[in-house]
Amino acid sequence: MNFNLEIITNAMPLLLAGAGITIEVSALSVGFGLAIGCIISLIRMTSIKPLRWFGNVYVDFIRGTPLLVQIFLVYFALPALIGHRVDAFFAAISACSINSGAYVAEIFRGGIQSIDKGQMEAGRSLGMTWWQTMRFIILPQAFKRIIPPLGNEFIAMLKDSSLVSVIGFEELTRRGQLIIARTYASFEIWLAVALIYLLMTFAVARLVSRLERRYDTSR
Amino acid sequence: MKTDFIKITGLKKNFGDLEVLKGIDLTVAEKEVVVIIGPSGSGKSTLLRCINYLEEPTGGSIVFDDIPLNGEANINEVRKEVGMVFQRFNLFPHMTVLENLVLAPMKVRHMHRDEAEKIAKEYLTKVGLIEKSDAYPEQLSGGQQQRVAIARALCMRPKALLFDEPTSALDPEMINEVLDVMKSLANDGMTMVVVTHEMGFAREVGDRVLFVDGGYIVEQGTPDEVFSHPKEERTQSFLSKIL
Repeated sequence: MNFNLEIITNAMPLLLAGAGITIEVSALSVGFGLAIGCIISLIRMTSIKPLRWFGNVYVDFIRGTPLLVQIFLVYFALPALIGHRVDAFFAAISACSINSGAYVAEIFRGGIQSIDKGQMEAGRSLGMTWWQTMRFIILPQAFKRIIPPLGNEFIAMLKDSSLVSVIGFEELTRRGQLIIARTYASFEIWLAVALIYLLMTFAVARLVSRLERRYDTSR
Repeated sequence: MKTDFIKITGLKKNFGDLEVLKGIDLTVAEKEVVVIIGPSGSGKSTLLRCINYLEEPTGGSIVFDDIPLNGEANINEVRKEVGMVFQRFNLFPHMTVLENLVLAPMKVRHMHRDEAEKIAKEYLTKVGLIEKSDAYPEQLSGGQQQRVAIARALCMRPKALLFDEPTSALDPEMINEVLDVMKSLANDGMTMVVVTHEMGFAREVGDRVLFVDGGYIVEQGTPDEVFSHPKEERTQSFLSKIL
């Protein structure tokens, strides 16, 4: 086998642009996922049963089915339901956000439950409402503890977003496939794609551990 | 004649099948210091926690200052007036001492920050910790943390304070600094209900001592009556073990 470095250098601009799109999809998905997860984790703690039930079903469904199938559901099944086709970008972002939301909800729940029960009691005993205590006492403390798992979620999303290549959305993996279809240089290209993923996840991991240290010292 | 501030009638609390409180009647007058003693598991902490609804009573009624307590509907109104000090302090670890003190007055009483800080500093001075205003709780000793917790409760300007074994989590050499603060509050005329194992404090500061066992108030009276001339056999046997 001949290793052709030139193919990699030629493909690099396209691949890097794809990596940019991968980052964009992951960041947007985790961003929306944060909002969804925050809401879901709060409604799972309320005393309103239908809301709690919805939250539980949501988390169980998402965590119990493959992301790939969820992407198919949004891209192929949803159009059949609503009667017109769904844009690949919209499908990618919404499937990944909905998926991320369920995992983030679990991360939030874990973070909140790890805060000593006495904190809620202290807040309530001072006359603060449940929500005030949550907002000023529990959540700020929980936030610090969920930075590492949220970082892991973002890393997982960077990698899992490669699945949206199956609906033709041109992120890093899909770009790789397209270049190989043209050049047949599957060894070089997949190696390059893998290294770019590695670089991205490594950078995020470093960033997270820096954040972690900063929040640790300043409380 | 002192007026009644807290009036508890027929208070019951079950945890599942376990009956912890089996019918408690208790009236606390304004400025009275009531000390609750009893073996562990007797329900004394549960009784205290039912008073401000941290535990929801299974039955009975609680009336504060002529306002009947009816669960979540007016609990926050009552909690504004009745502070609580916990065994494990429960300070907010992500906030400085001063922030711990001003949070509730600002959020619940809608006080301006300047005013809340003025009151906070007044009480920090009272508990002897004004120089720790900007420290974080973890930088303080247990005794100091508990004194901050008392100051935090006082900042709401409550009409009564509940103490749930406030010295049980402290190293022995720190117990007195906390008891001294509590004594001075009692001298200032604060209405207090104190669950404690500190019999010296109960005897010296208590206006009335309650012995709780098996979910009932077994015996009550002045400290002298309960400690020196206990009538009930269960009280006698408890006191003989701890004195």
